Amino acid sequence: MAANNSVNISFTVNGERFNNINVPSRQHLADYLRSQGFTGTHLGCEQGACGACTIEMDGKAVRSCLVLASQANGTNLKTVEGFDDEMMEKVKQNFLKHNAFQCGFCSPGMLMTTKEILLNKKKLTRDEIRSEISGNYCRCTGYQSIVDAIEECINEIN
Amino acid sequence: MDDIKVNQNPKLGSLDRPNSYIGRSLPRENAKKHLDGGGQFVDDLTLPRMVHVAFLRSPFAHAEIKSINTNDAKKSDGVIDIFTAKEIDEVCKPWIGTLGHLGEMRSPEQTPLAKKIARWQGEPVAVVIADSRAQAEDALELIEVDWVEKEAQVNMETALDSNAVIIHPELGNNLFWTRTVNQGDVEKAFKEADAIVETTLDFARHTGVTLESRGIVADWNKAENKMTIYHNGQAPHMMQHIIAKHLDLNEGLVRIVSRDVGGSFGIKVHVYPDEMAVTAISKKIGRPVKFIADRLESFTTDIHARCHKISGKLGVDKNGKILAMEIDDLSGIGPFSMYPRTSAIETNQVLNLSGAPYVIPNYKAVGTVVFQNKTPMCQYRAVGHPIAVAITEALIDKAAYKINMDIDKIRKINFIPDNAYPNKCPSGVPLEDLSHEASMDKLLEIMDIKEIEAQKEEDLKKGVLTGHGVISMCEVTNPSPLFYGVGGAHISSQDGASIRLEGSGAIHLSSSITEQGQGTEAIMKQIAADQLGVEMESVRVTLGDTDATPYGGGTWASRGAGIGGEAVLKAARKLKDNILNIAAAIMQTDKDTLDIEDNNVIRKNGGEGISLKKLAETVYYRGHELPKGTNAELLATASFLIEGIPFVFTNSAMGCQVSIDQDTGIIKINKFWAVEDCGTQINPKLVEEQIRGGVIQGIGGALFEECVYDDQGNMQNATMADYLVPMAYEMPDIIVDHVTTNSGRSIIGAKGAGEAGTGGAPAVIMNAINNALKQVNAEVVSQPITPEKILKALGKI
Amino acid sequence: MKAADFSYHEAVNLQDAINIKAQDDEAVILAGGQSLLPALNMRLSSPTCLIDISKISGLNEIKIEEHTLFIGALATHSDVMSNKTVKDNMPYMIDILKMVAHPAIRNKGTHGGSIAYGDPAAELPALAVATNAEIIVSGQNGDRSINAKDFYLGLFETTINQDEIVVGIKYPLLKQGQNIVFDEVCRRHGDYAMAGLIANVMGSKNDIKDLKLVFFATGDKPDVADKTAELYLDNGYDYDKLKNSLSSEIDFAGDLNSSSEMKLHLATVLIKKVLSKLEI
Ligand SMILES: Cc1cc2nc3c(=O)[nH]c(=O)nc-3n(C[C@H](O)[C@H](O)[C@H](O)COP(=O)(O)OP(=O)(O)OC[C@H]3O[C@@H](n4cnc5c(N)ncnc54)[C@H](O)[C@@H]3O)c2cc1C
Ligand code: FES
Ligand code: FES
Repeated sequence: MAANNSVNISFTVNGERFNNINVPSRQHLADYLRSQGFTGTHLGCEQGACGACTIEMDGKAVRSCLVLASQANGTNLKTVEGFDDEMMEKVKQNFLKHNAFQCGFCSPGMLMTTKEILLNKKKLTRDEIRSEISGNYCRCTGYQSIVDAIEECINEIN
Repeated sequence: MDDIKVNQNPKLGSLDRPNSYIGRSLPRENAKKHLDGGGQFVDDLTLPRMVHVAFLRSPFAHAEIKSINTNDAKKSDGVIDIFTAKEIDEVCKPWIGTLGHLGEMRSPEQTPLAKKIARWQGEPVAVVIADSRAQAEDALELIEVDWVEKEAQVNMETALDSNAVIIHPELGNNLFWTRTVNQGDVEKAFKEADAIVETTLDFARHTGVTLESRGIVADWNKAENKMTIYHNGQAPHMMQHIIAKHLDLNEGLVRIVSRDVGGSFGIKVHVYPDEMAVTAISKKIGRPVKFIADRLESFTTDIHARCHKISGKLGVDKNGKILAMEIDDLSGIGPFSMYPRTSAIETNQVLNLSGAPYVIPNYKAVGTVVFQNKTPMCQYRAVGHPIAVAITEALIDKAAYKINMDIDKIRKINFIPDNAYPNKCPSGVPLEDLSHEASMDKLLEIMDIKEIEAQKEEDLKKGVLTGHGVISMCEVTNPSPLFYGVGGAHISSQDGASIRLEGSGAIHLSSSITEQGQGTEAIMKQIAADQLGVEMESVRVTLGDTDATPYGGGTWASRGAGIGGEAVLKAARKLKDNILNIAAAIMQTDKDTLDIEDNNVIRKNGGEGISLKKLAETVYYRGHELPKGTNAELLATASFLIEGIPFVFTNSAMGCQVSIDQDTGIIKINKFWAVEDCGTQINPKLVEEQIRGGVIQGIGGALFEECVYDDQGNMQNATMADYLVPMAYEMPDIIVDHVTTNSGRSIIGAKGAGEAGTGGAPAVIMNAINNALKQVNAEVVSQPITPEKILKALGKI
Repeated sequence: MKAADFSYHEAVNLQDAINIKAQDDEAVILAGGQSLLPALNMRLSSPTCLIDISKISGLNEIKIEEHTLFIGALATHSDVMSNKTVKDNMPYMIDILKMVAHPAIRNKGTHGGSIAYGDPAAELPALAVATNAEIIVSGQNGDRSINAKDFYLGLFETTINQDEIVVGIKYPLLKQGQNIVFDEVCRRHGDYAMAGLIANVMGSKNDIKDLKLVFFATGDKPDVADKTAELYLDNGYDYDKLKNSLSSEIDFAGDLNSSSEMKLHLATVLIKKVLSKLEI
């Protein structure tokens, strides 16, 4: 079999530059990030259905299992390891306070989804919060504590 | 943080003293790492020279493997080797999933890879070892297997027919296990009954869908003769034994490390053929081997659960008193009984637990468990409970309707009274320290039944079918050796804790209980700090490593707090005793005048004390200053197991209200309430979150989840897009409340709380739906209750 | 699972993409990747070459053009939802897109991708048919404009040629008195529907002058039910009659979550549900 295809690309992850690196064409971004030690990005389905792999790409939430690493060329990425600004520290405190996670496997994706909710700066009802996170699967919590945490974050911001 | 005061256990002291952490809803500071992306899950681990595997799995539910040709595949990029059963069997001995204490079980030998015949779609047949998972998968496509597809026995209901396909010819038929319970005289009692109701319920197969899939890294170190296994399991010491036994290794030189685990729910406590193969491969090639199941593999090879058809009959007198109950349950478990817990336990629990909250003098239960060509079925969260509770509670509602009695009243008059314990289930299983009466009273109080009934009438006028239900149940928790050990399984029912004061003044605690997100580490810390009299922050916890923790059972059957927690409590008390003895010697005083508060030994009557740090420094670095002969042990260990009864039961009452759209069949859960009595709550918030997560899993089974098979035994919906797990939008908020009846079996008094939600929700949801449908004389009897089933019941399609 | 190997080309402009596609029979367009990547990751599809068009500039334009709203193929669902021109001229589009998947998927999934993919359960193809939209494709021989109703041939099958790429969709602006109303029935929020309906209505609730019914998640492509619409105009809502009519007009195909009978029933009640949303 022929050697696997690859491409050279550059991007930043949490502000760290990755210059002219070689990635297999077929590798999705989640696998690439994990291979570089950003193991906070989790894989639960590799088909867009669970949300565990959700990260930030150029300011927007995306499923990193549904983006090729090669497509990240020229982008700015942020993973859970880089969620360290003031707003995200508050979010984490609220997640902790409400026990909005048990095993924590869904948390990186949930945090990213929460981040996008907060950046939109809208006041949401509990049902609307449930709608916003309806693409993120959590087997452990039953979601209520996550809704509680996000609700508190929204109240704090508005 | 809210401080929810629980009805305190006098043996634990008041909540007002310093360092009283038991009973407080403290946040899990230790778990914050997950919010920083710092968890250490199996797939996060990379070892030098590590290789990856991909399994060739049977595409058929039943097929003969004529030959396997791996010549082309072996030449594929990055491939290191390809093994079939022949090579794996050289290092791994087969197993049999039977136990000795529940009557005759018959299940054949199972090997990591299928030999001549594959018996379920997904059974591993060959394995490619390669530099990357992608390359291993490339090679899979080049393996040529000469399959001869055989007819599959898919339907459990025909598995014992004379013309059934016999899955294991050597057994003669497809029967795995059967049991009958007979208490009193059911036939006579039914003759005396004023009203008899009957029903037959169906429960589809579903599965655990842990967000983190099963995974293992096996690392054979030839130089040390040591096997290290990084595994996202629940019971490290059980795995240690099993791997040593089947790979012929020195058990002491097998180390199992289970760091963070992304949910388990019973899925990760079993021995899986692919994981055994991975261990064997590492032994064979002498390199670390990683296997992470992808989602397709999870759906077709993680154990499935439920898959029951149960008929029941209940006889009551005209006052609503239950005279007799009879059930007959059939379950299909796939082609093998799982190892080492067997696949008989779910049915056994159905027989044991049906009718459990009630006085039922005459009880008969028959359980039949058969083989079929589907994914193996075994214990998953709330083993058997959903079936036992649903059949009991469905029959009770039916009886109430028949004799025109309120659904809460009929329950109340039949409960085993709260003051009548110790007592027994109708099946004869011993019960103690339960509170069905108080719990139901509390439930009715928080539900406001009057308001709910008024709304039902309002909604009907608008064409919306609204209904509600209430149920009571018992949950099996804290099992004793009578659960598995007595049957010959090397599964410890005892757990240990080891606690030490270190030179820095820090406390280190280790426990054989493991963490999958329940909050094990947090509650262990709370218990240790509380009992010692130290700040929570000074306690560090080690779990999930057979080389570093005491020996014990691990986490399953809701046993962490009640058994593991008691061991921690005992160890902490011992250490405290040691510390006070040493302090008394240093301070030249009577031990009884001393106590520990905020990391200091204090004099109860005032005066200067000594910090634990100072004390530890004296002991470790200046031991010569201690009076001669002082027993200066700053390390204490303790163990605990439940004796004298099979299980410590917990009880719950649950209620819910649902509305049904008659046009679309869509069910909306408006409200859900749960009252739980799990004895002492070490951390009430964590208990509530166990209930909530459990209820949502129960709702999943009741309304959404099903492993759909075609007639040939192919799973049709083995993806996360097609298998419907509960997502946030459809799920209700759950109001949780408590009644506290401590377990008399331990000082801590805690029972388990992990499974009641999953065990009770399917019953109460179904009862509420049928309460709604009754207004139009319709009924559903099959879970998951899909919109299509609702519309069929309504006669719309 | 991990995708099989393929080569990856980032197209620098539209012509570049068209050229590669014309040369390589097996080359596949990658836009937002939200439908393609799941298929690649599960090895349900293993093309030898991907042409990434997502970086081509200008293809995500949204503008008013001769009584139509033009949405460039690369506009993501999120772009469309937050676009002022859309909000002012086609506000219902935003509500329809709320039913498509979840926010993070909408941040990548493209309008053109959804139209080109032709999933029979997808909302946008049905909307395009219901609104009589024109799909603009570009190929070696220049541009073509295809009416949406002619674009969809069957299950994931469209009239698009191997060398062609969807560049945009032109939705006619609503006339005075014209309304788009819709609904769908899903097992879970954001899932593909068990059945859905988009109705293009001229008139008000009590005085419908013209009616077009387009169903999705019912058959192998957006299903237009003209006879049933006519029946409704003549008789109003009569469940049995409409159901009969739909069953003769549409070839309902059951799936995992709903049998064909279920879909037929849901399609029928959707007529009532959807038209009740009209203003009196
Ligand atoms: C979990 C999940 C849920 C979803 N739910 C819904 C839903 O409810 N409703 C819904 O409608 N969609 C849903 N989607 C799909 C989503 O809307 C996709 O974004 C969309 O269908 C395809 O757009 P894309 O840009 O991602 O296309 P891609 O995945 O990039 O491409 C899809 C196909 O279209 C072709 N293609 C793409 N763009 C063009 C073009 N310009 N010209 C020619 N061919 C092209 C590609 O070659 C490929 O074959 C869901 C997706 C996921 C992962
Ligand atoms: S792993 Fe990407 S959505 Fe599930
Ligand atoms: S906390 Fe375990 S999946 Fe969400």
